Amino acid sequence: MMPTWPTVPPSGAPPTPGYATSYSAPAFTPVQVRQSFGQSYSTPQPPYPAGPTYGSSHSSPTSAANIPPNVTPAPTVAQEQAKTKIDWPDSVRRYVQRAFVPANLDSNVSRPEMEAKLKETITQANEKGVMYSLDWDAMPLPQQMIREERARTLLPLHSKTETQTSATSTKKRKSWDLNDAATAGSSSGTPPWRVGANRLEDRVTFSPDTRQPGDDPFKNTTSKFSRADKRQKRHEGEYKTFREDTPPPSDGPVVGTCQDLEKRYLRLTAAPKPSQVRPPQVLRQTLELLKKRWKKDQNYSYICDQFKSMRQDLTVQRVRDDFTVEVYEIHARIALEKGDLGEYNQCQSQLKGLYRLGLKGKANEFKAYRILYYIHTANRAELNNALADLTAAEKKDKAIKHALDVRSALALGNYHRFFQLYNDTPNMGAYLMDMFVGRERLAALCNFCKGYKPDVPLRFITEELYFESDIEAAQFILDHGGQDLLQDRDGTIVFLSGKAGQRFEAARAKAFSRVDIKGQI
Amino acid sequence: MEFDTHFFNEFADIISQQDGYALGRTLSPDISNESLRRIFRSQNAHNVKNALKRGLQGNAALVGGLEHQEVQGWVDIYASYWNATGVLLTAREATGGTGKTSELVWTKVYEAWTELLNVLIRGYQNSGFEAWTIPCLYTVCKHLRVFAMQADEERNHSSAFDDTAAALQDDFDPETNKRQKLEDCARALSRVFMLCQTDRASLEESRKWGSYYIANLLLKTYFKLNSASLSKNILNSLRVGTRDMPKFSAFPKSQQVTFKYHEGVLAFLEENYVLAEECLTEAWNSCYVNAKKNKELILTYLIPCHLITSHTLPTKKLLEPFPRLQKLFLPLCRCIKRGELHKFDLALQEGEDEFVKRRIYLTLERGRDIALRNLLRKVFVARGFEEAKEGEKPARRTRVPVAEFAAAISLGSQEKIDNDEVECLLANMIYKNHMKGYISRQHGIVVLSKSGAFPGTGV
Repeated sequence: MMPTWPTVPPSGAPPTPGYATSYSAPAFTPVQVRQSFGQSYSTPQPPYPAGPTYGSSHSSPTSAANIPPNVTPAPTVAQEQAKTKIDWPDSVRRYVQRAFVPANLDSNVSRPEMEAKLKETITQANEKGVMYSLDWDAMPLPQQMIREERARTLLPLHSKTETQTSATSTKKRKSWDLNDAATAGSSSGTPPWRVGANRLEDRVTFSPDTRQPGDDPFKNTTSKFSRADKRQKRHEGEYKTFREDTPPPSDGPVVGTCQDLEKRYLRLTAAPKPSQVRPPQVLRQTLELLKKRWKKDQNYSYICDQFKSMRQDLTVQRVRDDFTVEVYEIHARIALEKGDLGEYNQCQSQLKGLYRLGLKGKANEFKAYRILYYIHTANRAELNNALADLTAAEKKDKAIKHALDVRSALALGNYHRFFQLYNDTPNMGAYLMDMFVGRERLAALCNFCKGYKPDVPLRFITEELYFESDIEAAQFILDHGGQDLLQDRDGTIVFLSGKAGQRFEAARAKAFSRVDIKGQI
Repeated sequence: MEFDTHFFNEFADIISQQDGYALGRTLSPDISNESLRRIFRSQNAHNVKNALKRGLQGNAALVGGLEHQEVQGWVDIYASYWNATGVLLTAREATGGTGKTSELVWTKVYEAWTELLNVLIRGYQNSGFEAWTIPCLYTVCKHLRVFAMQADEERNHSSAFDDTAAALQDDFDPETNKRQKLEDCARALSRVFMLCQTDRASLEESRKWGSYYIANLLLKTYFKLNSASLSKNILNSLRVGTRDMPKFSAFPKSQQVTFKYHEGVLAFLEENYVLAEECLTEAWNSCYVNAKKNKELILTYLIPCHLITSHTLPTKKLLEPFPRLQKLFLPLCRCIKRGELHKFDLALQEGEDEFVKRRIYLTLERGRDIALRNLLRKVFVARGFEEAKEGEKPARRTRVPVAEFAAAISLGSQEKIDNDEVECLLANMIYKNHMKGYISRQHGIVVLSKSGAFPGTGV
């Protein structure tokens, strides 16, 4: 899952004098801050509060409430926050807040720099999966990290770097020592999780002959050269390559011997080691375990991580059988439930190939999902291809027929039929339909506004568009700026469609133009 | 042709006249077995390079003023061509009689031909070949694609070949494996495309003149591979490059038509019907009169375009020379014209496989709107006029009960359709401007506009 960012106080936070003078205001209007974060980091959201099934996956809006008074976020930020799907640990939130406490701000470190550093820090922590285990309270603030980096690049000589960093270090510096590799890590400014990444070395096999000492990126971080030195060297062309040679192709699939049921996912950078790969019979037990744990804990980040490592083990052993299909199917379903389109798509594209190999699984269920997904992304070309691939028998399958009917209803603008189908979606298709049901509601609402005069009962809208209740329908209208179009007439609420004009057109156009594409199949 | 004095003289002539197409022909594999044999037997592997070197240098260098490096380039190319003729000959002879062999002979042809293309590319990159020689690229690329398809087909039909190698790959989509060589060919073609597109020589002697020919081959290949999406890159590259490109109209007509056709179909697939119509119309207008197959292809997409953009149907006369198109489109057109909704659905179902295969299903489906409009219009017309007031023209009765429309819609299928769904369809018609008026839900009627209730249809 792509992380959304924990609350960063908007620039409305009281700036220190130095900060205010050195930076022009426009670059920090709350809107801009929010935009930049929203665009690149937010998880794909339905453009409006989505259907009922979606609600559960939203994190509680407490994230906004947690912010201390001195950094009150703009309401927009709070709203954005309420939608995020990652539960940021409180420690991370505190860390972010601490970074922006005026007393900690450094006039020499610009806000964008700080934000970038924060992002980097937290993303890396998240990717490494150490977000929950890191001691965030002892973590140096981004401005400190930046200062240290600057100091290092200024001083070409290693010995000086060392003195400089230790001079600027504060008590927070402790956190660098979290790992015992700290001596190596701190001198070159490697953050703790980077040092942790050295574990990678223990986990993967390097054949000694293919490795030249100078080519090893890990060695480099701990080498006696400072960064500035390295840069200089590179300019002089002494560094031929910073990357490792591509490992020679292996002779065949790995046969795993690992007996552990659980394993953290780690992206391989070298040939896998049999002792760390679980053979299929162990993986079968793992799957059973994971199924139980998912039912019990519903901890998505744990499950996702475990499934990824399981998929990796299957891949490196080139296991492609019914079990493989099952693993991918289950992961795809869980990802779908959690709205993790990235993982979902990865699973789907593998499944596509697996089904083509003739493995059975639940091919029809997933073909139906695929069609629904293409409807969501409005990918006409792929939709065409998907249609062309269907056999006559498949077209009669319940799930696929449903997906095809949905497509046809939308193509013909038959929202009446569409919402009937929405209400009766087989399997987990509703999670996919939730992604576009909002925009179809808007489209239908536009139709009402042009087609019906002078008004229609609100109940009619509730029923036609399958809202849970009149209240939900009314809320939907209110959310899109239709306050004045609802009227209480002798106890029945009517919607003044005749007066709406082009009211919802902009929202409609926007909803249809915004289709996130992630790990596209 | 064989590699003898006659050939060397011919080569010298071509070089001195700078006749690119003639030069291209000397690299064609599209010759009789007899000719292949003659070429192949005229030399042997040991001597071929030396013989070519002597021959080409002796003649061409004097007449055409080729530089030493260029001569060396051509020597390599003809040596590679000579090698390919041998492999091709074996393949043709092997498949000629029984049609089956235990070996994958066409794969070998493809590989030999790929080598020829590589040597040729090197000629442009290192030996400084001039731009007028690009028809050589055309010939070689064109046949590379043919050989790639032949190799794929042979492999897919051969039981001798099993998938072990492919099964060991991480990327294991079996579909991809089926088209292995063609995909490889696409990559090679895209290299050639870049070779043409990135030439910075001045326009008169730029390889950019080859861009469209290669682009067309590449687009054709992408379509075949079902990865039309990749074509976007080609179009973008050409679009971005237009400033530094020769004018599109300066390219041969045949290339223009092919390119516009592909561009049109791509726009069509993305539902950009306006652009699609524009491109396809251009292709249609420039298309060679007797190129019936091409015209048929253009119309396959142009007709659905017209249905969407201007709600027009093809005339009988237009379709007259194309029985296949008649079969494809006429049943649907008839239903649309008559407003027969149910029959339209049936006709669409009937032709579904063919429509989907041609990727026009989704577009034709939208013709249902027009069929529906025509049906509703019939209802409106059938209701006749209000009693005319004296001295005034009689006005149509514009207040139509929803139930009447509902009756009309369920007339064909005999299936009851509930009023809410009918209203939904009506609201849609209104929204899409096929119908002017509004629904009064309270009264269960539709109030249609007095002037032009069905825009563009005369009532």
